[in-house]
Amino acid sequence: MSAVGLSVPRSDAEAKVRGSATFGVDLAVPGMLHARILRSPVAAGTIRSIDTTAARALPGVHDVVTAADGPGGRTGVIVFDIPFLARDYVAYEGEPIALVAAETAQIADAAVALIDLHIDEVAPVATLEQAMAPGARLVHPSWADFGTAGGAQFGRDGNLVAEVFSDPGDVDAAFEVADLVIEDTYRNPRQYQAYLEPKMALATYEAGRYTIQVSHQFPFRLRDRVAQVLQVAPSAVRIIGHHIGGGFGAKLDVGLEAFAAMLARRCGRPVRMVNNHDEERLAAPCRANAEIRVRSAVRRDGAILAHDVDVVFDSGAYANNGPALSSIPMFMFGSIYRAGTARIRTRNIYTNTAPTGAYRGVNGPYLVFAMERHMDHIANELGIDRRAFRLASLADDGHLMRNGQPLEELSILREAFDLVEERAPWAEQGKGPLRGVGIAAAVWLTNPMPAQATVKLNEDGTLGVITSATDNGSGAVTTGLRQIAAEGLGLTADRVVVTMPDTDLTGYDAGSQGSRTTHVVGRAVRDATTSVRDLVLETAASMLEAAPDDLVVEEGSVHVAGVPARSVTLAQVGQTATSSRGPIAATSSYVTPSPPYDPLCTPGMLFSAWPTPTYHVHLAEVEVDPVTGQVTVDRYVVCQEVGRAINPDAVQGQVQGAVAQGLGYALWERMDLQEGVYVQRSFETHGLPLACDVPAVEMILMEHPEEAGPYGAKGVAEPPIVPVAAAIANAVADAVGAPIDQLPITADVVLDAIERAACA
Amino acid sequence: MTDDMVAISCTVNERQHDLVVTAGETLLDSLRNRLLLTGTKEGCMEGECGACTVLVDGLPVDSCILASASLDGCAVRTVEGLGDRESLSHLQQAFVDTAAVQCGFCTPGMLMTLTALVEHVPSPTPDEVRSALSGNLCRCTGYQQIVDAVVAATGDRA
Repeated sequence: MSAVGLSVPRSDAEAKVRGSATFGVDLAVPGMLHARILRSPVAAGTIRSIDTTAARALPGVHDVVTAADGPGGRTGVIVFDIPFLARDYVAYEGEPIALVAAETAQIADAAVALIDLHIDEVAPVATLEQAMAPGARLVHPSWADFGTAGGAQFGRDGNLVAEVFSDPGDVDAAFEVADLVIEDTYRNPRQYQAYLEPKMALATYEAGRYTIQVSHQFPFRLRDRVAQVLQVAPSAVRIIGHHIGGGFGAKLDVGLEAFAAMLARRCGRPVRMVNNHDEERLAAPCRANAEIRVRSAVRRDGAILAHDVDVVFDSGAYANNGPALSSIPMFMFGSIYRAGTARIRTRNIYTNTAPTGAYRGVNGPYLVFAMERHMDHIANELGIDRRAFRLASLADDGHLMRNGQPLEELSILREAFDLVEERAPWAEQGKGPLRGVGIAAAVWLTNPMPAQATVKLNEDGTLGVITSATDNGSGAVTTGLRQIAAEGLGLTADRVVVTMPDTDLTGYDAGSQGSRTTHVVGRAVRDATTSVRDLVLETAASMLEAAPDDLVVEEGSVHVAGVPARSVTLAQVGQTATSSRGPIAATSSYVTPSPPYDPLCTPGMLFSAWPTPTYHVHLAEVEVDPVTGQVTVDRYVVCQEVGRAINPDAVQGQVQGAVAQGLGYALWERMDLQEGVYVQRSFETHGLPLACDVPAVEMILMEHPEEAGPYGAKGVAEPPIVPVAAAIANAVADAVGAPIDQLPITADVVLDAIERAACA
Repeated sequence: MTDDMVAISCTVNERQHDLVVTAGETLLDSLRNRLLLTGTKEGCMEGECGACTVLVDGLPVDSCILASASLDGCAVRTVEGLGDRESLSHLQQAFVDTAAVQCGFCTPGMLMTLTALVEHVPSPTPDEVRSALSGNLCRCTGYQQIVDAVVAATGDRA
């Protein structure tokens, strides 16, 4: 292989270590204004009055905009519930109410402070319990009037954003014949993505079109959402992407862009906006807080007869992608471990809190935490070894998930358990007082959404890859796509240049989300490169007076098989083609076909199947300090199926980084709500993991090449966060001898568990 | 020059600068907005994330909470002052080679902290690297490949 499977450096690495890489926040254009937002200081209330007179009068202020000036209506990704600016009421702390554009950000901030805002505060619908209580105040009194994308139908009712309810009808009967009924309730807080580059937008308006420069994970969705908000055609919006200082899901929807675009049109000047850090955590969409109740009917011999699962997760004040995420419990229970049947009810709930949304793994980390803690609980009740119970419960190839989709390669998971056992024998881990071991497994998907890529042969024999795919740090674009293109012509990856996204120039792409780039965009790149290769062979064949089938492409040249001297370089081929048949380029598109599933299994599932599954087993060994309650992670082992590692170092980096985020979620990170308002307001109080906190992760790569993937690659980057909280919680519970049913497992939680164990 | 302006003279990456700064202006503002040295990143503006780390007289500081007015006579070094036109510093090269860069937003600050570390401790242990990074957040890498980079860049001097 000339490129695939090698740990080549990122194409942007040198620029990033020199500080010359241009991130969104580094952009500036002559004549630009700076805009700032007046945000709601309270979680809920009625807007009585907004007086902008003093703000408008401040020297240097160009424009002040309130809901009265903006486009009417409400928009959103799935439910159209978000107003341009808060109009009659505010629904969360931080909700945008007014915009100011001024000569400097300081003047804009001063003008924001001069806006005379009166809100009649009301008690927020602050918790899931309050929102679901009979007679609860409605977060959005006019919810029934909100439209949905494509008219999608799913369970909606007042504060219930969405409900997915799957009840095969045989669950209660299973509980009646069970030897044991085991029931648990798990709770988890929010998690903040905590990327370092705040959201920004730099917008210009010219000749009826908006150009918006951003650092954004999904430029085409952004184009469509800006168009939806401003009520213009998508073709009136151009998104140009720059380096992204981290996203992890937080930069997938419209943020400041529509505001900046509207102000640019009104002011006739470019407008730059950047959130400050406190605004960022309000706007982030955090991973949702949730409560998961799991009841299982179990037979004495260890057979799980049924699960009865009830998941409630917090949408915050707006729906975002919650209605789609409400399907995910369907893929987490009864999927890898056999269960006779399962009733799964998932509800997504409006509250007067900052909206939640996409964060790496979405609701997977807490669902796997619940599932795998519950598996430990059942094993302990039955007196069966926890790992042995999992192996006995593990389903076989072809097992149907609750949506009716077969997991054709589920035996990979059994292999993963074996590989972890070879590396870290279960019986030898976590020995000694206040030491424990935990194991957790998961199946995760590779996001299937569409991609298009163009590959061209340049006249110097190098390749260009033209794509809207974004690299928010994973290296999927800056290494993976280059390596995949290079391999097709036997080149090294440094002979391939890849573009940054520009929705006017580069083909549609569904963004860096759900580990899709290497698999889906990579497939489009591979196919386009294959077409380029065919054109190269055709051109070279006429140059070498040989049949295309007799030619070999390698190391930047084409030669006749067995006659290396009869050769032409790719540069000669490129030049010859350009002046004869025309420049060589090819475009290819790809969408992962849906796997088979039962469309009638559950009404309201917007997210109906689990494409390109990958398999994961994590093992954690911890030590607990009985005095401080501190948990030390002594060992962390990941066994992950990747299909094919296009760039092993990059895979390692994704796994290590995801585990670090997962450890933060499991052990330290706080994003607490009090009366609807975030308590922690700085990086330090969030408790983000530092270099001293994170051990070196031991990684075992499994490669079962996926035919549809480029060179066999599946998704990599998202799932290694998914089983972490589960593995850690199981290890801590083992160490202290008492269940751990909530996250994060802070010192208080640990000390409380030690006390419970002592009393038991 | 108004009352709230202060004249300072300092070097930035060994180049002399005479600047007139406002009393409340941070070094980060002066670097990014006056000198257009945008390699130094603004992460939190609270002195917590370390993305804005630069060296002042050889010591790492959070430039987002340091007043430029206090820097008269000081020597400031930023990421743009590492390596030269032709080649990267050992640390920069090691970051490239060991995949220590992902999104790259923390990278300039990391490199400044670590440059100061290896100037004082030429062959740091992994634990010394980790504790030196206690003021630098990275959300992407989980830190291991950053630690590996420092060991790779300095190990052969041991």
